[in-house]
Formats: sequence, C-alpha cells, structure tokens
Amino acid sequence: MRFLARRLLLLVAVLLAVTFCGFSAMNLLGDPLTNVVGVLAELDCDAIAAGTAPDTTVDAASSDCDTVAAARAQYHLDRAVPMRYLLWLGDLAIGDFGTSFQNDQPVSAVLREKLPETLLLLVMAQIVSLGIAVPWGVIAAYKANRAFDRGSTVASFGLLSVPNFALGVILLYLLALRWQIFPSAYESGDFTSRLFSLILPALTLGLPLAASYQRLLRTDLITTLQEDYVHMARAKGLPPMRIMFRHALRPSMFSVVTVFGVSTGTLIGGSLIVERIFGIPGIGREIVTAVVRDDFPVVLAIVMVVAIAFVVLNFLVDLLYSWLDPRVRTS
Amino acid sequence: MLRRRLGISFWLAIAWLALMAFVALFAPILPLTDPTQVAFGGPRESPSLDAWFGTDALGRDVFSRTMHGARISLAVGGFAIAFGMLIGGGLGILAGYFRGLLDQTVRFAFFVLLSFPALVLAILITATLERSLLVVSLTIGILAVAPVGLLSRASTLVFAEREFVAAARVLGARHGRIIMRELLPNVVIPMGALALLGMAIAVVAEGSLAFLGLSVAGDDSISWGKMIVDGSGLRDLQNAAHVALFPVLVMFVTVLALNFAGDRIRQHFDVKELAF
Repeated sequence: MRFLARRLLLLVAVLLAVTFCGFSAMNLLGDPLTNVVGVLAELDCDAIAAGTAPDTTVDAASSDCDTVAAARAQYHLDRAVPMRYLLWLGDLAIGDFGTSFQNDQPVSAVLREKLPETLLLLVMAQIVSLGIAVPWGVIAAYKANRAFDRGSTVASFGLLSVPNFALGVILLYLLALRWQIFPSAYESGDFTSRLFSLILPALTLGLPLAASYQRLLRTDLITTLQEDYVHMARAKGLPPMRIMFRHALRPSMFSVVTVFGVSTGTLIGGSLIVERIFGIPGIGREIVTAVVRDDFPVVLAIVMVVAIAFVVLNFLVDLLYSWLDPRVRTS
Repeated sequence: MLRRRLGISFWLAIAWLALMAFVALFAPILPLTDPTQVAFGGPRESPSLDAWFGTDALGRDVFSRTMHGARISLAVGGFAIAFGMLIGGGLGILAGYFRGLLDQTVRFAFFVLLSFPALVLAILITATLERSLLVVSLTIGILAVAPVGLLSRASTLVFAEREFVAAARVLGARHGRIIMRELLPNVVIPMGALALLGMAIAVVAEGSLAFLGLSVAGDDSISWGKMIVDGSGLRDLQNAAHVALFPVLVMFVTVLALNFAGDRIRQHFDVKELAF
C-alpha cells in the first residue's frame, strides 16, 4: 500500500508540474493577447485613456481598447500567470478547455471530435507492431545467430533508422500509388472502410516499433530458453513451438511491457506526422493547424491531454510491471 | 591482448558523414546550381546528367537542394546535441556527485521533461516563438537534456564511489577539482559515444518539425524534411516520385550512418573492466 501511495503522490506532482510548465510556456514565450485581438494588442490604451496618444482618432481607438479589455477579462489575461494557471486548472477540472480563438467553438467539442480518430490509430499501430514483433522475435530467437537472425538484425537496424515521415512517404508511394493495395488517404465512411484506410498509417507507425520490440523480445527469449524448466520441457519431448508460446514467451515479455508506455509517446509524436501524410482528421493534424493559426487554447488543450494521458499511461505500466514482477515493489 | 577493430563498414559510415559535413559547410561555394532558382529545368524532370536527382514541381534542381538541405539538418542536429550534452551532462554530473536535494530536484525536472512526448514538447515551444535557426536548435536541444542528463547522472554515481575519487577527497581536493579532473574525463567517454546516436535522433526530430512546417521558417531555408513534404503530394508522388525519394534516401543513409557509427563506437569503448 505504501508503494501505491508513493506512486500516486508522484503522479499528482508530475501532473501538476507538467501542466504548469506547459501553461507557462504558452503564456510566457508567446503573447496570448496578440493571438486573440491581433494588431490591436499593440495599442497603448493607457495613453489613449489619458488623451496623450499621438495620432489615432480617439473614438475608434477607445472602442478598440474596449475590445482589448474585454478579451483580457474573458481569457483572464489581466491576472498574473500563476493565478491564470489556477483558474485554467479549475476550468479543466470541470471539463472546460476554453474556446477556440479561431472559430468560437468550445475546445472540448474539438477534442471530442478528433480524439477518437487518433486513439483508433494508436491502438491499431500497437496491435500491428505486436502482431509483427512477436512472431518475428520468436523465430529470431529460435534461430539465434543463424542467417535469419542476422538478416533480421540488419533489417531492424535499418527500420529504426528510417524517419517515420520518410517511411510514410515510401509506403504511400509503394502500397497506395504503385501497387494500389491500400487507399492513399483516410476514408470517412463506415467503420470497416475507416479501419481499412487506417492500415497503411498504422503500418507506418508500427513497423519501426515492431523492430524495437523484436530486438527486446529476442534478447529476453534467448535468456529464457536457457532456463532449466525449458530444458525440462524439451526433455519431455514437447514440440518446440509449444515450448516457445506456452512456456517461454510470457516470462520474456518484461522488457516489451516496460517500453510499451514510453513507446506510446513516440507513437503520439509519429501520429502527428502520419495524420498529415494520410489526411486523418485526428488531434495531430488539429494541433499543427492550430499552431500555424496561433490558436492558443486548442494547442494548449491538445498538449495537455496528450501529456496527461502519457503520464497516466506510464503510471499504469509501472503498476502493471510491479504486479508482474514483485521484486520491483521493494526496491 | 585483444585488438579491437572498428571494421570497414564503420569507416564507410564515417566517410559518408564527413562527406555530408563537407557539403553542408561548403555548399555555397561548391559548383552547385542555385537551389532556389525556379525553372532551372522543366517541372518534374526525371534524373539526368544535368540534374542528377531531377527537378521538382517548380523546376528547381533536386540535387542541389538536397545538398543545401544538409546545412540546416546537420547544423540543428549538431547544435542540439551539443546543447543537450552541455546542460544535461552538467546537471547530471552535479546531481550524481552532490546527491541530496539537488539530485531530487534535477531528477524531478528530467522526469517532467520526459513526461511530454518529444515532438509535442517541440511543438509547444516552436508554436510560441519566431522559428529561427537558433530557436529550432534550442528546442531540440532541450529535448536532449533529460535523456543525456539521466545517463551522465547514472555514470557519475558509479564513478563517485570509486577509490580514486575517495583518494582525491582524502587528499583535500575541492569539489570543483574532483568534478573537473576526476569525474568529467570518465563520464565524457561513454557520453561522447552517444553523441552520434543522439545526433541521429536530433536530425530526425528536425526533419519531423520541418515536415510539419514548424522548422526554420523562410522560403530560402531548405531542409530535408521540408523537401520531402513538398514532394509528397499525391500528384508529385504519382508522376515524379524522385522529388521526395532522393531526399528520403540521403536522409536515411545519413541517419543510418550516424546510428551505425555511434553503435560501433559505443561497443568499442564498452570495456569490461577487470575486477581486481
């Protein structure tokens, strides 16, 4: 229980620190006021109110100043950053992410629309990569240091060196344009055609991940295969594949489980790119558009959702790991 | 004694990297065509003797652009990893040597940095600032701080326990001297091997930002990521795949060479010390 309590405390501290860093970065590095009201942010409203402004006609300027003041109040821009953070955190707690600067839509609606697409893509990518990595790792370990294993080492080294935007472009070119097996862009139809059009993006994300899973699984499996109980099973005359999948595979999954959480972070980064290549309407494409348009609340909300999800996921993987391997709990 | 060899493939990788570095440094004075010259040839021409990598949709020379693209990619990559090493490595050594509250604070800061998916953190920073070469390099450098820092902290912890450090302390050496003369030389070697691996990651990170249109701004700034995204529209890929695929190839070989050379150096210096 003490272990769980300490972990929970750390989780809360990290979540607060992550949200605070993200929030202050957005607030201090840029000028949110400029993003809401544009050039009006440059107005020297104090001077205009005092009647000392040099050239502008007083009427137009003072109505502009009202706009600026209203925007300041609406987005709490008149408060200090720590205070603004607390207000924002309070809104966040009740699911209010603010309003998009660009099209007065509530950000939560944007998230609700875009998040499922990205989630589906991430889940598919993990399934694809595990689906490739497990058989690949098993065969490589079974044939350790023979031709297949050597070849697969080279192949995974190569796969890990392809930037995912390059891999996406190559797969798009070969599988969608040259051989026309998969559609070249996202299809928003019924669920099956959506799934089908997501195969290529999932493959783009999943292949390098499969390569790194395969490396880990192979190493762990080779160690496990030298355990006494595996020799025992072999001596009993069990078929090799049964030994592999029933006896050796499960205790060899620790490393893969460990990097599962971290790799999701890589996948999220990759999904920004893949969504752009294949035109998937997920949060990755949304954040890039929002950055280009200086849509501050949308950028902040997506960064926060992603960071929070990532922290929580790693927390869960941590717990899962300590449940799988009780030695972790005491250290 | 066993002689360790780096092998011919290692030197091939180094030769490629040296070539790329040379091209990046001297691209403006090499006999290349002007990379921004529109209609150097016809639009989307296939590779020929005049334009080795063909021309893009605006008729610009893809070969010259790819060579010039090495400038931003390698400059950002090199600067970012240097920044990560300096800040992350320094903090890691201090945290590992002094332990206590400093260690806990630094570790927590690293943990928070690592809690953002890397590309998302990069977007957060580049979203708010003017995207100049310095800002993009610094952004990717910040991404490198936490992983490098954790590594240097871990190896400092190991060396700080060793006898020669204890001996220096008994002799009355100050903290500064112990860190600079005893710890630093030992920690730098394993980190130096990781510089190439880290640079590979930084080059890819810059490419990713460029691909999203969030790297160094300006029409005359050419980078591999930007070339690849420009050439990967469906019409370009369909009719003139070389526009995207040549920069992909050059970038892939460069990243592969960095990874390979880094991995070899790491193995080379991974000496299992004898236990006396």
